[in-house]
Amino acid sequence: MSAPDRHATALGLRLYLIASAVTAVVAAAVVAKRAPAARSPAPALLGVASVTPPEEPIRAEAQVFRTSPAMLAIEPTARRERSAHPRTLATVRYLRAYPGAPPRIPHPLTADEFRTDACKTCHERGGFSVRFSAYVPVTPHPERGICLQCHVGVDSVIGAPAPDPNPNARCPMCHGASGGPPRPDARVTWPTTVWPQLPKLIADRDPPPIPHNLQFRENCLTCHAGQAAVAEIRTTHPERANCRQCHVALDPAAGTFTRPVNDVAIATGDAP
Amino acid sequence: MRRVDRRTFLKGVGVVSAAAAASAALPGVALPTNPALLQGDQPGPIWKKTPCRLCGVGCGLLVAVQNGRAVAVKGDPDSPVSKGLACVKGYNSVQALYGPDRLTRAKVRRGGSLVDVPFGEALDLVARTLRETLQKHGKNSVAIYGSDQWTIPDAYIASKLFKGALGTNNVETSTRLYAASAMTGLQSSFGLDGAIGCYEDVDHADIIVLWDVNLAESDPVLFSRMLDRKRINPAVRIIDLSTRTTRTSYASDHTLLHAPHTAPAIANGICYEIVARKWVHREFVDQHVAFKRGRVDIGYGLTEDTLVQDNASDASWNEYVTFLADYEPKRAQELSGLSAASIRWLASLYGDPLRKVMSIWGRDVNQDVRGTWMNNLLYNIHLLVGKVASPGNSPFCTPGQPSGGSAVHDAGTLTHTLPRGVVQNEEDRRRAADLWGVSAETIDPEPTGPAMSTFRRLEQGDVRFLWILATDPMVSLPNLDRYRRAATREDRFIVVSEAYPTPTTDVADVVLPAAMWLEREGIYANAERRVQHFERMVAPPGDATSDAWQMIEIARRLGFEKLFPYEPRLHVEQIWEEYGRFHTEPQTALPPIAALRAQPGVIWPYVDGRETRWRYNPLHDPAAAGNRGAFDFYGHPDHRAWIWLRPHEPPAESPDREYPYWLTTGSVLEHWGAGSMTQRVPILHRALPHAYVEINAEDARALRIRNRETVRLVSRRGSLELEARIDYRSQPPQGVVFVPWFDEARPVNRLTLDASCPLSGQPDTKCAVRLERLPVRSGT
Repeated sequence: MSAPDRHATALGLRLYLIASAVTAVVAAAVVAKRAPAARSPAPALLGVASVTPPEEPIRAEAQVFRTSPAMLAIEPTARRERSAHPRTLATVRYLRAYPGAPPRIPHPLTADEFRTDACKTCHERGGFSVRFSAYVPVTPHPERGICLQCHVGVDSVIGAPAPDPNPNARCPMCHGASGGPPRPDARVTWPTTVWPQLPKLIADRDPPPIPHNLQFRENCLTCHAGQAAVAEIRTTHPERANCRQCHVALDPAAGTFTRPVNDVAIATGDAP
Repeated sequence: MRRVDRRTFLKGVGVVSAAAAASAALPGVALPTNPALLQGDQPGPIWKKTPCRLCGVGCGLLVAVQNGRAVAVKGDPDSPVSKGLACVKGYNSVQALYGPDRLTRAKVRRGGSLVDVPFGEALDLVARTLRETLQKHGKNSVAIYGSDQWTIPDAYIASKLFKGALGTNNVETSTRLYAASAMTGLQSSFGLDGAIGCYEDVDHADIIVLWDVNLAESDPVLFSRMLDRKRINPAVRIIDLSTRTTRTSYASDHTLLHAPHTAPAIANGICYEIVARKWVHREFVDQHVAFKRGRVDIGYGLTEDTLVQDNASDASWNEYVTFLADYEPKRAQELSGLSAASIRWLASLYGDPLRKVMSIWGRDVNQDVRGTWMNNLLYNIHLLVGKVASPGNSPFCTPGQPSGGSAVHDAGTLTHTLPRGVVQNEEDRRRAADLWGVSAETIDPEPTGPAMSTFRRLEQGDVRFLWILATDPMVSLPNLDRYRRAATREDRFIVVSEAYPTPTTDVADVVLPAAMWLEREGIYANAERRVQHFERMVAPPGDATSDAWQMIEIARRLGFEKLFPYEPRLHVEQIWEEYGRFHTEPQTALPPIAALRAQPGVIWPYVDGRETRWRYNPLHDPAAAGNRGAFDFYGHPDHRAWIWLRPHEPPAESPDREYPYWLTTGSVLEHWGAGSMTQRVPILHRALPHAYVEINAEDARALRIRNRETVRLVSRRGSLELEARIDYRSQPPQGVVFVPWFDEARPVNRLTLDASCPLSGQPDTKCAVRLERLPVRSGT
């Protein structure tokens, strides 16, 4: 490289450094100027062409209105079948390790079913399953893809053949050959917290509040309506569209109402 | 500190421990704190009918009374309003009577704190102070401030005492805060107050458009009626036009969001499209509609004491079309943020001659510096397409308080009104004077000022004596700190009739314990003009007395025994009968008390045993003359409904760099009004224990605010610390935050601006705020 060339390069470098410094200073100034704006973002509604709703709805709110009895496979005129086994609060609790736990799968799955996660064929809309002689419980969250991620069967039932259609022949599956309480290997015995209790309802009295967490159970009708619903918690009025008009979820942290202060200084806004 | 006497304390302990024992037995389930329910050997309850107390829908309830207590509630299946349904507030409403800190004794402020005194002594003090204030400062130095939670007899007595006996027009109610624009809107568009249609419109409508009203939470049973309508006819569409995404949005078929304060641009945009596409019902407009131009330079009611008088001048069709040219849908989109396509689509629904359309709005539309105009604009849409005053075609406003349909509108409890007509009208004054038995000169022909002016004059010292009943202005007034300070100034005498200690009793010089709903006989009238009666079912606690009877006692102490000759057991019937003499014409005729006792509500006008469900329609309204065609809008002298040329104007305060967010406020399902009743119902309190601020998720991310973190909201008036909630119940769009106003410990009105609609006097509730994280980090 020749000397003038080197000189030109050095000059270029110098110019470049000066330009960079100037850019950095300007950038810093801009950043500094923008910093307060970041704390209070530019008013979004001023001069914006359209106001749009958020992409994700509030599940607990939106899901209430997702289904209606008409959309579930509940046909008031359909022939009533006798379920092989009544769904009761006792069976519901039996299949869950603790309140709010995903229930275990009480029935056999074929290996194929296990591989393909085909649960929603029956559990999305419910209805009567001839195979199990039972009304099929409806999932409150059909949009979740992989059921077996959370719901597990008992090892011995996977790959087992479909049960005898005769309900009586199925009893030994859980109760053993001699009857009696369910076999311990079908249940997880683990001490847990208390289950939500059903309020003792006086006829025509207040609608009970929601005693359980709503996560993944935002749609009320799937569990509380239809023949598959647990008898004790089946609603008498599935046609009412807005459940939470009368049934409210309680804040576990809330105590009883007390006036925070009772003082003129607070009333006038002078106190902190 | 409030003193708790031993008896109250022991009683409270009993209730709390019974409830605690019950909750321990049944975790997660709220029980009514009512020991009577826990015992088995009771005689069966007696069920009695009543309208619900806790909003303006007016659901019919049946209340079970057992051993002198209200113990249970069910929906009245015979009620045409609710058809057996109620909401969570209604089902738990009777528990509001039994809060542990119920006021049962009169209290007088001595040495800075309130002390119990005998009831008669407190009344004597109130009467004496009232008389002295009148003598010293003149008749307009005394004022009364009630509400639409008054039964109609309460309201009538207030008007008779202050306007008829004392001769001052200083009579105002909190209705000024919630529904005054609805009233002036009806007055200016139709010439008469009172709803045009009724709830039955829901059962006929094909399209229901909700204008800025979260009906699923504010009027749940009315909203359920809409969902029922949709279940029966799946072609029905419910459209939620709103400033945030709410529970109502999720239940509706379509949600259309727009920026706060921009509904007038949308309404005018719809009218533009209807005219441009020739969807106007020409025959209806030619025969029944007149066009009017009003004043535009009306300001924001920030300082004025009196209301602006509108001057209606005739306008032509061509002038109206020229006026609408400013609201071409693309322009309306720029103003409102709602897409032009949506505006055109809405217009096509309103304009479709085959579909019946109902528009519903409420507090949000009314609480606007242009609230009257916005009411006019909604009527404009319906009048252009002739969809009014017939089943299913209905512009309808839900006023929000249990007497929203009659007490204030008719019983004369606004500064300018009399039980019938207005004080400025000589004939109306003479009629009132005759029926009251006072001289015509007693009634002052000059109105004083709307509610905000009452409190401003209290601040200035023009009002020295203020009696507040059945409302909680120290929570509900905008720019709250200013009026809290005004109420605590020296030489102001504040009397408060209340059932519970509230921020308003905190500023009182005398507190009178009030008998509540069910503890006294009463009559309410709901949003659809349905008058409903309830009898006295249980005894009020201690010295608690109804508002009407408190006022009668004061009147007698002031020497007006002859004007108030009512008997304690019969006074409601006697007052109703007297009030009925004001309304004998078919335009406003009231039902007799026998009909009210026999039925779960009767809609007025009530003529020859028939209700008038749709006014101005000769098929339904005996006051409408059939010779004018299908409709007769007899409220105006020209027998026409008026379409007003009302522009879109910017609000008194908009977000800017310093205060970049819109603050909107509103109701939630579990609480009603300022919350003094619903917060004391255990299940309602536990469902929603305190107010919060809802922030858009993107805004929260930009501000690095986490869900449930405490943040500070700052406006030009004050600041308030609240729990931030993201995607909790509603989702405000970016740049908007929402705070419910029920919580006396976190009163959002400390932030709001006391600007109001200059025509109606109704304050605005939307203002500009800034969000701040806590704690403030050093260096920022």
